[in-house]
Amino acid sequence: METETRNVQRPDAVLTVRGVTAGYTKPLLRDVSFDVVRGEVFVILGGSGCGKSTILKHIIGLTPPLAGEIRILGDRISGGDAAETSRAKRHFGVTYQGGALFGSMTLRENVCLPLEAFTALPEDARNLLAEIKLEQVGLRAYADFFPAEISGGMRKRAAIARALALEPELLFLDEPSAGLDPVTSAELDRLILRLRDEQDVTVVMVTHELASIYAVADNCIMVDREAAGVIARGRPADLRDNPPNGKVRAFFNRTAENGYE
Amino acid sequence: MVLTLPKVCSQAEVAAVWRKVVPRVDRLKTGDTLTLDADAVESLDGAGEALFLSLYLKAQRNGFAIDVRDARGAVARTLARYSPESFVNHPDPAALVRDSHLAEQVGESAVALLERVKGLLAFLGEVAASTVRAVFSPGRLRWRDVWLFVEKAGADAVPITMLIGFLLGVILAFMSAMSLQQFGVEIYVADLISIALFRELGPIITSIVLAGRTGSAFAAELGTMKVNEEIDALTTFDLSPVAFLTLPRMFASTMVMPALTIFAVAAGLLGGAIILLSMDIPAVAYWQHVVAATSLTNVLFGLGKSMVFGLLVGMVGCFCGLNAGRAADSVGAAATSAVVSSLVLITAVDGLFAVMAFFMGV
Repeated sequence: METETRNVQRPDAVLTVRGVTAGYTKPLLRDVSFDVVRGEVFVILGGSGCGKSTILKHIIGLTPPLAGEIRILGDRISGGDAAETSRAKRHFGVTYQGGALFGSMTLRENVCLPLEAFTALPEDARNLLAEIKLEQVGLRAYADFFPAEISGGMRKRAAIARALALEPELLFLDEPSAGLDPVTSAELDRLILRLRDEQDVTVVMVTHELASIYAVADNCIMVDREAAGVIARGRPADLRDNPPNGKVRAFFNRTAENGYE
Repeated sequence: MVLTLPKVCSQAEVAAVWRKVVPRVDRLKTGDTLTLDADAVESLDGAGEALFLSLYLKAQRNGFAIDVRDARGAVARTLARYSPESFVNHPDPAALVRDSHLAEQVGESAVALLERVKGLLAFLGEVAASTVRAVFSPGRLRWRDVWLFVEKAGADAVPITMLIGFLLGVILAFMSAMSLQQFGVEIYVADLISIALFRELGPIITSIVLAGRTGSAFAAELGTMKVNEEIDALTTFDLSPVAFLTLPRMFASTMVMPALTIFAVAAGLLGGAIILLSMDIPAVAYWQHVVAATSLTNVLFGLGKSMVFGLLVGMVGCFCGLNAGRAADSVGAAATSAVVSSLVLITAVDGLFAVMAFFMGV
């Protein structure tokens, strides 16, 4: 299954990852390849410390992969020249685990920051647009609050509003439901689906929250530290019903590994 | 007035339209009509939606009419999604309590000040109690940390302290020699330098270096630990952050100050010697005057003062760090307030020492 999918690029792919060796100095995962198609919610899943966040860091260009190629809408995120990297970066928005909002700015100012830097919109336009973005995540009433004054779930939604400010085609989410209660987490899932359906945003998400995966994921890959690579790919429901190996079964059935089922 | 929108209303296109057209729309009054031609609009992003909203908001405020041509429904969809009415009246204004009344602000500041004073007293009490405990059972103090901070605050600070001491000696000698030379008594520069450095300038200059280097570092370190919830972790282990974190730092900063002061004074005396040598005053004469002018009382007074300054810098640094907020900028604020408060306290306490010395006839 691996070799079949590896070199065939889907024509509607917005993100292509080819033969990537993920890791900082030592390789964690080898030969990771996948395509993300426009308009889908794609999940990279795996156990804690398996390297899924590392892959995300390579994809968003924080650290270059040890080998392989990552293209976002055709532009290389690393390994190309500065212009290509900067083009690639304009295609996506990212929200980090803790939200990473700037603490000294209100939510409105947080959302306005990329608009100020990258668009020619005048100030009143930026403010109104920021309100629209905050309205999309249900936080317009809090536009003038500081990140410290709102809850963790609200901070994540505000971070999504900021990531959406420049109308990216791709949205990367790193553990969006980490540290959230099930209800808030479900609200976030609904927001992700609404972004996909109403705004045509392609979402790539790193998570290990099963509930979230079943709720939003159209497609997923599962990576594993011991196998040092991708051990499964497909629709989450299919993987749950027909797991290709014991590890996938253990993950989707929430059982302890090594045959304790 | 007619506003025709392009096929693609993305951020770049909307920015151009907005800058050109919106100022003119602002001049429309009751009775005017704005023809909004959105027939061509095929794709629309947030900026386009913001433009529609803004036009409808202005129409409501200024009373002009909008005649919309909306073959593809772009405007209708936007208005259905975000109603301009709700955007006018900012929702939930009650939630914004930041613009409070002057009296409230004064009251809040007063309460905050009171809390701060209470916090300071509690901190001082805990410091005193844990110091007493440490004196009676020295094994409980984390000596490994103490030596680490002695190295960081003391040994590592020797070069900068000596450099500043040396330059101070040079400047002091040069300035005073200029005046005393007119009377032919430039040799008394040696007495002046010796008394000034041992009694006043040595401890002061060293404590300023300590406040800048070490006090700020203490505050930043503890402030970061607070942000990372490390202080909370200590508290839940029932380890007092004061005993665990403050005491080693305070002991270290108190212990290194006399040594650093001696280095600063020695470097200052050397600096003075170089100036006087250049004025043809023999080194032996300089040295004899220095020895004659230096009394044990002066030296001990200066070194004792320096220990008090060291204690102040360590305590203020730790207090500011432990009381830092939990945001990123609060660590910087804690470091700043540690340095500023240290400098103010050092100056004030130095004044107290001067008064004390006067009444004791030292």
